[in-house]
Amino acid sequence: MVASIQRIIIGYIVSVLLGVSLGLLIGRFKLLDETVGSLMLGLQVLPSICWLPLAILWFGLSEQAIQFVVVMGAFLSIAIATDSGIRNISPIYVRSAKTMGITGFSLYRRVILPAALPSIITGMKLGWSFAWRSLMAGELLFVSSGLGQLLQVGRELHDIAQVVAVMFMIVAIGLVFDRLIFSELEKRIRLKWGV
Amino acid sequence: MTNPNSSDQRVSIKGVTKTFQTANGPVLALKETSLQIRSGEFVCLVGPSGCGKTTLLNMIAGLEQPSTGQIEQDGQLITGPSSSRVVIFQEAALFPWLNVIQNVEFGLVGRMDAKKRREISKTLLHLVHLGKFEKSFVHQLSGGMKSRVAIARALALNPSILLMDEPFAALDAQTRDLLHEEIQDIWSASKQTIIFVTHNVREAVRLGDRVLIFTSRPGQIKKEFKIELERPRDINSEGVFTYAKKIQQELREEIEKVLKEEVDDEWTLKKADLLRPAGLDLGSGI
Repeated sequence: MVASIQRIIIGYIVSVLLGVSLGLLIGRFKLLDETVGSLMLGLQVLPSICWLPLAILWFGLSEQAIQFVVVMGAFLSIAIATDSGIRNISPIYVRSAKTMGITGFSLYRRVILPAALPSIITGMKLGWSFAWRSLMAGELLFVSSGLGQLLQVGRELHDIAQVVAVMFMIVAIGLVFDRLIFSELEKRIRLKWGV
Repeated sequence: MTNPNSSDQRVSIKGVTKTFQTANGPVLALKETSLQIRSGEFVCLVGPSGCGKTTLLNMIAGLEQPSTGQIEQDGQLITGPSSSRVVIFQEAALFPWLNVIQNVEFGLVGRMDAKKRREISKTLLHLVHLGKFEKSFVHQLSGGMKSRVAIARALALNPSILLMDEPFAALDAQTRDLLHEEIQDIWSASKQTIIFVTHNVREAVRLGDRVLIFTSRPGQIKKEFKIELERPRDINSEGVFTYAKKIQQELREEIEKVLKEEVDDEWTLKKADLLRPAGLDLGSGI
């Protein structure tokens, strides 16, 4: 179980970093938007498990392969949410900041990202469930240590109790993270923004 | 607050026009406009909707570029936004992810250490009578309070020009009156150059040294009124009323033009045409 949690944490953090960066770049550079933008939407529809064969071919039967599947499953939805969050910022925030002499990177860090944060958090929530699902699918097929393997072993041993128990664990972990992290973040934002 | 360096012409606008490229082709928003504003002057721009006064304000701020002509501040060409010309918008545009004091010190971050920043922000908040609301969040404030915070935030940067785009339009009359007084006091103390766009003629007369009337779109300065009333002015006084009446008449012509254009023939329909004696002909012949 610890192995699964380790994988998801690493994979998820990478997804968030990649996703938010990509979302920012797409919003900033029209060229990227027109080329990668539509590609993103298409790729997002692809079930993350379909990345597994490619991952195994590229990375072999290794941790990286599973991480790859997790990241591919999650980072696109985060990118899309980030991009849409940025597009929906009220333009007056940016104009106001500009007249106060804020430009360039500062503008992004201090105005655009905070303003888009509610949407980004929604994307992160979505990304989290995608990541968790991708991980389980990956672990089921590509057996190494982890919850997925436990599930498989339970099936092979015709041990329904084990199978169901592992399923509970999977749901529980997902919920715990949601409660602990995302609900807290959303509460904080609601407090400040008053929405 | 130190007095910003006073050169003769704080803002110099020469032969400026602005054309927007829209889906329906180019639209001339502002016709050839020239204007000189002295340091420390309080200038009000009034005009019907769409007359280009906000466009002019945005160009002075540096948020838009003029299509022709040039705008200079203290002899320097304006090419982009800068904290020496801060804009206060109608919607206050306070940042919802920051609390009040963080909003006020927003422009100062990076320019000075945190302690000094806090001090200045606190002083300004007290100046606008919001000292107790440092830690409140934006959504907890009323409209008038938000405007005050926006003013404090702008003043924190000690800009040489303060640009205000209908900042009190969304407020009720009483709050507006209080804010007029506050702006009046602030301006008397700091003598910043203020350019104030408004629809409200009496507000313009109450506040400004000069009131400039714009024609309907494409806009141009139609007439200029120098307000020679002593301050502090009372919005209900005779003096304000007299000026306001004259300005209102000039404005009325322009507003009617806009209405005619937007509403077309319906504007000329008289009430009588719409009312018919009831019961005469209901159509069913019963």
